[in-house]
Amino acid sequence: MSIIETHQLTKVFPGDIRAVDGIDFEVNTGEVFAFLGPNGAGKTTTIKMLNTLIQPTSGTAIVAGFDVTKNPSEVRKRIGYTAQDVGVDEHATGRENLTLYGHFYRLDGKTIKQRVKEIFELVGLTGSEDRMVSTYSGGMRKRLDLAMGLIHQPEVIFLDEPTTGLDPQTRASIWEYIRDLVKSKGMTIFLTTHYMEEADRLANRIAIIDLGKIIAMGTPDELKKSIGGDVVTVSPCVVKDDECKEFIRRTESVLSGKPFVTGTKPTDGELAVYVKEGESAIPSIMQLLSSQGIEVKTISMSRPSLDDVFLKYTGRTIRAQEGTRTTFAQIQRKRNRRQK
Amino acid sequence: MNLLTDTWYITLRDLKARIRMPVFIFMSLFQPILWLVLFTQIFKSLGGMPGIGGGAVGSSYLQFFAPGVLVMMALFGSAFAGFGMLMDMDMGILSKMLATPVTRVSVIIGRVVASTLVVLVQALLIIIISVVMGVDLKTGVPGVLFAFLLLSLLGLGFAAFSNGLALLLKRQETMMGITNLLTMPLMFLSSLMMPGALLPGWLNTVRQFNPVDYAVVSVRDLISVGYVWHDLWLSLVVLAAWFVVGTVFGTLMFRTRTE
Repeated sequence: MSIIETHQLTKVFPGDIRAVDGIDFEVNTGEVFAFLGPNGAGKTTTIKMLNTLIQPTSGTAIVAGFDVTKNPSEVRKRIGYTAQDVGVDEHATGRENLTLYGHFYRLDGKTIKQRVKEIFELVGLTGSEDRMVSTYSGGMRKRLDLAMGLIHQPEVIFLDEPTTGLDPQTRASIWEYIRDLVKSKGMTIFLTTHYMEEADRLANRIAIIDLGKIIAMGTPDELKKSIGGDVVTVSPCVVKDDECKEFIRRTESVLSGKPFVTGTKPTDGELAVYVKEGESAIPSIMQLLSSQGIEVKTISMSRPSLDDVFLKYTGRTIRAQEGTRTTFAQIQRKRNRRQK
Repeated sequence: MNLLTDTWYITLRDLKARIRMPVFIFMSLFQPILWLVLFTQIFKSLGGMPGIGGGAVGSSYLQFFAPGVLVMMALFGSAFAGFGMLMDMDMGILSKMLATPVTRVSVIIGRVVASTLVVLVQALLIIIISVVMGVDLKTGVPGVLFAFLLLSLLGLGFAAFSNGLALLLKRQETMMGITNLLTMPLMFLSSLMMPGALLPGWLNTVRQFNPVDYAVVSVRDLISVGYVWHDLWLSLVVLAAWFVVGTVFGTLMFRTRTE
């Protein structure tokens, strides 16, 4: 049974920016569903339409049995939401933060008290209930943030980039909590991420989104299998200049069309070659290239990752975009915090 | 029902956050005291001027100026109320709240009520200090309560307006600029520091369009003159209208922000 269902869901921002461009998908009850894509792909906009914070320009979305535009208040009662920014109140204790949300969800005092105890245990914050949030570490705040979306035992939880900006250790522990949550409460989770590893480890099913459109959808294995074999990455140059581009173009033309090659995709300074079997393909590639006078500097083989899937469908890597845009956003966010 | 309880919880959250900031408590108590003491010292010799001492309004600049401090504080305490909302927006607290079933307008009303409660506590404190310094309360406790009603209307109006401004401007720098640009003239273009009799003609005309002046005139009547019903009724109507204008602007901006 599906708990989220969208039909041609679209959001156009002023200036004709099609942030989300007619997407269709279903999320089944009890599964972890991930939206994977680079920054600016439309992930947050989608989440904000599903949790009623913004209205779709066109199309429909049903969440937990109710239409997000026709019945937003019924949807709100049944969902939990954790945004990318940690939306906790620093000038209050952890318990006060959680209790306030308990009241918003119309729980009575006794239930709130009991749930607070339960949830603090679940997210590993027992003992810190009555400390001011301003004394919490970044990881603790994120866990409290997660907890605030759980107090009413929602049917669906929306997690927008749950581990962006966290250190690897904290990230691992947040993953642990999310897995526990699914196991112990049987909740449905809709998460967005630009970390392939996160989607790979947590999600039952993944939709890869780019420029407002879903470009591939399936289980992590299905997606990787769609590549149809292994990925051999060849680099004929050391410096990424125009000469390098020319080399890659020539390399591509030599290899494409060969019987053991299923596809090629050039990226920045490298060429991804999709082959049926990597082990036997490498010697053939080396031979072919050297006979054409192309000197290979590095060559490597890997089982396909979600990044390869993304590359195959978009011609770009998530990683390459992550580098420039995320850091800028993070710097900006840090700067804002410092000003306060 | 949900509207009232949600508003109450948000008011409580705001009040708690303020009480926990020692700087806030110090500033909000110290500032009015500073004004009261400094201004009455600086302008002490004005005590004999027409419209201040010797005439209808008491016998000293203190008796003339203390009601003005009440209004000044209600103005400044409320006109900066939107900065809390701005903080909630920047921190992602507002979005997170709006994804819950919380009654939408409670989020803004709760903040406005909290800021006005703080203003009233400060007002009570100023009254006590004024009396200690020698101010004679001409209409006693009932008059003071009436003054509090007028101050509340002024405060609620400005607090709602400021919250609306925060939702409209979204940036701290512009918000600070605009708020200063508005509050300073509102204070000076009134009879807060000088009685109408000593003000130039153009200023006496301009102040008729300033809600702050209506509060000044009537609070001063109540504390230092007596029940001047003509002034009181007029002020009540003007301040009630200002309250409506501020609230409509605030909720309108809030609606636009939350679609």
